[in-house]
Amino acid sequence: MINLAIWLPAVGGLAACLAPRRAVGWVSFIFGLGALAIAIAMTVGYESGSGLQYLVDEKWLPDLGVGYKVGIDGISVFLVLMAAVVWPAATAWSAIKTPDRPATWYLLLAIGQSGAIGAFCAQDLLLFVLFFDLMLIPFFFLFGAWGKNPDGGLGASAATIKMMVFTLFGSLLMLVAAVATAFISSEGGSPLTFSISAITAQGVRDSSEIWLFSFFALAFLIKMPVFPFHGWMRDTYRSAPLPALALFTAVLSKVGAYGFIRVCLPLFPDATAELQDVMMILAVVSIIYGSVMAFSQDNARLVAGFSSIAQMGFVLLGIFALRADGLDGAVLQMVNHGLVVVPMMLIIAFLAERVRSDDLSKMGGLAFRAPFLAAIFLVVTMAVLALPGSANFVGEFYVLRGAFEVDITLAVIASLGVAMAGFYALRLYQLSMHNREIEADASAEISTGRGAILGALVAVIVALALYPQLILERVDDSAESQIAPAARSAGQTPATEASVGSRP
Amino acid sequence: MDAVTFAWLVLAFPLAGSILISLSFKLLPRRAAGYIGTAAIAIAFGFAVAALIGLLSHPVEERSLNGALYDYAAVAGIDVELSILVDPLSVFMCLIVTGVSTLIHLYSLAYMTSDRGYNRFFAYLNFFVFSMLLLILAGNLVLLIVGWAFVGFASYALISFWYRRTTATAAGMKAFVINVVGDIGLVLAAFLILREIGVLDLTEIFEKAPEDLSVNSGVAVAIGLLLLVGAFAKSAQIPLHTWLADAMEGPTPVSALIHAATMVTAGVYLIARFWPIFELAPTAADIAAFTGLATLLFAGTVALVVTDLKRVIAYSTISQIGYMVVGVSIGAYTAGLFHLMTHAFFKALLFMAAGSVIAAMAAVQDLDKMGGFRKALRFTGPMLVIGALALAAFPGTSGFFSKDEILVFAEARGGMYMIFAIGGYIGALMTAVYSFRIVYRVLSGPPCKEAAELEQGHLAHGEPVNPKTGETEDTDVGFPGSEHWIAERARPMRVAMSILAFLALFAGLVQVPGVTHVIDSFLEPVFAESKLAEDYHPTVAAEWRGLAIGAVISILGILLARYLWVTNPALPARLAKRFRRIHDFCANAWYFDKLIDVLVVRPVQAFGDKIADSFVENKVIGTFAAIATGTVRGAGAAVRISQSGYLRAYAMVLLLGLIGLGIYFLIAGGGA
Repeated sequence: MINLAIWLPAVGGLAACLAPRRAVGWVSFIFGLGALAIAIAMTVGYESGSGLQYLVDEKWLPDLGVGYKVGIDGISVFLVLMAAVVWPAATAWSAIKTPDRPATWYLLLAIGQSGAIGAFCAQDLLLFVLFFDLMLIPFFFLFGAWGKNPDGGLGASAATIKMMVFTLFGSLLMLVAAVATAFISSEGGSPLTFSISAITAQGVRDSSEIWLFSFFALAFLIKMPVFPFHGWMRDTYRSAPLPALALFTAVLSKVGAYGFIRVCLPLFPDATAELQDVMMILAVVSIIYGSVMAFSQDNARLVAGFSSIAQMGFVLLGIFALRADGLDGAVLQMVNHGLVVVPMMLIIAFLAERVRSDDLSKMGGLAFRAPFLAAIFLVVTMAVLALPGSANFVGEFYVLRGAFEVDITLAVIASLGVAMAGFYALRLYQLSMHNREIEADASAEISTGRGAILGALVAVIVALALYPQLILERVDDSAESQIAPAARSAGQTPATEASVGSRP
Repeated sequence: MDAVTFAWLVLAFPLAGSILISLSFKLLPRRAAGYIGTAAIAIAFGFAVAALIGLLSHPVEERSLNGALYDYAAVAGIDVELSILVDPLSVFMCLIVTGVSTLIHLYSLAYMTSDRGYNRFFAYLNFFVFSMLLLILAGNLVLLIVGWAFVGFASYALISFWYRRTTATAAGMKAFVINVVGDIGLVLAAFLILREIGVLDLTEIFEKAPEDLSVNSGVAVAIGLLLLVGAFAKSAQIPLHTWLADAMEGPTPVSALIHAATMVTAGVYLIARFWPIFELAPTAADIAAFTGLATLLFAGTVALVVTDLKRVIAYSTISQIGYMVVGVSIGAYTAGLFHLMTHAFFKALLFMAAGSVIAAMAAVQDLDKMGGFRKALRFTGPMLVIGALALAAFPGTSGFFSKDEILVFAEARGGMYMIFAIGGYIGALMTAVYSFRIVYRVLSGPPCKEAAELEQGHLAHGEPVNPKTGETEDTDVGFPGSEHWIAERARPMRVAMSILAFLALFAGLVQVPGVTHVIDSFLEPVFAESKLAEDYHPTVAAEWRGLAIGAVISILGILLARYLWVTNPALPARLAKRFRRIHDFCANAWYFDKLIDVLVVRPVQAFGDKIADSFVENKVIGTFAAIATGTVRGAGAAVRISQSGYLRAYAMVLLLGLIGLGIYFLIAGGGA
């Protein structure tokens, strides 16, 4: 089943190439729905508290210790589901108005999905690196070939090169580090293996932990991105085609954060503990910097981009609190952010298409003629700014509570980011929906098809807001074991159960 | 069914009403949304009464009931269920909120008739009531924060209801952001409570607090102060009060319901609800009391001079909440809550009357342009007077008894707390003056153009202009509607106002010193263990002495207002000129907006534009990125492939390589 979840989208992408031009997107979309159904089935069948599930462990390159080992635990199960939800949404959105060279476009999108879901499932270090790259490469094409050349910025291809340089640099470091990790861990005479659980058991634990950790961390931080590793972000966000960019922001950035949880925490607990402060400070700086930048931008895409930096800051903060509550919140927040950023980006796509500009000062007053869109956008905005009552708030609450127990000052500074989020998210909403109409005749309600896509995503957001426990419960099963070695190394109690507050 | 079930139903109906109206807004016939919305709240009121009866059937010491639906977020030592707490305090608040809301919905049914956003209005208004009830009934701190924030959101949505007005959207933003600051205060308080006490369930917090927090310890005070950040933001106390006056940009029924009667008193509720914490942190409680006193005096001076009708009432709201905050902070819990109740009645009435006046003025709110409506508004006029009498604490009215209870308690507590009694009486004098400033300026004097026309039966119509920006209003989204509705011509408005007028006049009689004590004895179980409430009991004699002082001050203030605006109408202008500095200082609300602008808004914006955007982003990050890509581009140029071709070729090679690698591994793996 898990193989189907990973590879069905790619197969669908290939199958879609055979379809007539106008139907390519829809064929791909149907395969996406198939993958979603499988992801849902896997989530339903997931049994809390029994470790890795749907495990497939095939020998692949036994001489090198490389295995095709995939499986999911409480942390990855909802990330897979989130990816499976947002991908068909963006696919369908782009299918409504057939793009240029549709066969290639959808094939690349589909390969990207297989790569991303594969990365969430990979339990083998080398396999993780391969999936990571498999997910990235299609996006180089998507951004480079379908991007636009915005006024006063780099053109699509130049921006893409910039992004490639950054991310491939990270990938390369990661590849080196992965190989090195496997070899170093086998130095004690144990067999060479890339299996994450096996390496965890053997332990890396020596002076090389720090640099191995740093190599991985650099790759992940660039991918998320986190300040100051976001140099590629600005130009990419200005030029990339929005449906693809939405997926990129929603899912690919999460693979970066996920890497910390899957790779760094268990494999390099000492280095994690040692660099905990650095990472938490980076996280808080990202939150504040991203938020401040988000409300000084006039380009709607950049508001979304910088707000993502801030949101990924929260995720990073939660992970490196090295506490169960922080990690629970971080994973919940990853799912939440993925779910809200896609509708947000798609709405920006709609707005930009309408006024032929990404400039917020050219938008305005749309709510009157598009009440449905306005309502949907309002819900999304409230989720983006983590209004209490949204699942995003629960995520931030857990993250900040974890941070609060480790370092009150950092937690308090980070909480300022929450107030700023209120400002930039609402500003985006008001500038596009409220005040006077800029171009009265161009105002229009969103079409039924696009409305249905956004409506479906909003329904998921609302459902999650009503019952965040659904995710928290499962994440928490896996969180404690994931975090335990690093937390011990940092001298913290990983389990919060031991402290006050558990149910009588 | 028991009280808890009824309480769930109280929550369910407003939410259902809101959802129903939102989902069917395109299908609903004219006014249907109004009827649905009003009915939903009226039913909720019915269930609130049922919950009251259910609660009363329990013995006094067992009147604190919990109900939970499911685990909302309960892992890793944080235990949050979807739970409610039904006790006399929450039921008391539910009754006020649903009761007043029903009347305001009824009023809006007519008042908003010609507004293009009619359905949206009722969807928001119902959602607001749901949020407020959630805040009140929440059984744990997280759910309370959820209700707290929902209320803030509803307030935002309704302030910027006429979203074509830039002033309205700006005011909405301001209200929202300040409210978020308050939310953060509560969240941080929750973290501290979680750390020190280990639970979030309200009942459990209060049970365990005395063991885990020592009196006036740093932590206890910190928790108290963080709670106060939330309370001050919502209840518009200094320095987080600046949003409330701007909130008057919303439709008048909104001002009546949210920005006078209910939401803004949430901070008072919070302090009363968390009395066990505040009694463990007397320093925090004292800070709250002094803030309340400062706010009530400050807002009083502003209400004396501003000329926008709704803003005068808004500042009077800020001032009256100051009284309540003083009350619940010094231990006069039931008195503070009693004032909350009477204030809800008379302030809602006052706003409704103001709404009717504004409609008669064709959406003009400036007191300087009004006058002489005595004959034209034969229903609204008396209503305005009744509201003002209660606000001015005229002997016998509801405000008379409730305000007095707070001040007499302060006197009974003695020592430093005498300040609150003295300050409160000074504030009372200002209250009486500005209340009747409104009355005299609207009703007496020669009729203004609109009033004269109305006497002839013609309701004024004019091109509405935003007084702040000078822009012509865009009536596309409603403002202010093609026809105006004054109470004289709309039965629902008259019914709603009559009921409130009755309550404003006579609701005080439930709590007459030495005679009746309905509120006291109903709320008694909630505060049974409070030391303050037990230690200080003003004697009946002291209460009547206080009432006598209050009566004298009230009448004095009204006479002064009469002297200033009826007997000698030229005098106020002369005084304003003579004491220009003081006048301007008050008229500009003591320049708090400017202060916050200089201290907070501008530095943050400058940081964003100058440092973050121009320097860090463009110079530092930009240079770094340029170097990184420049190196590669140099290499690319050497290959002499055009840029896009280069890109595609490069990526294609990579993809092929990767696929090749995969295939190789597959085959090699399979072979092994």
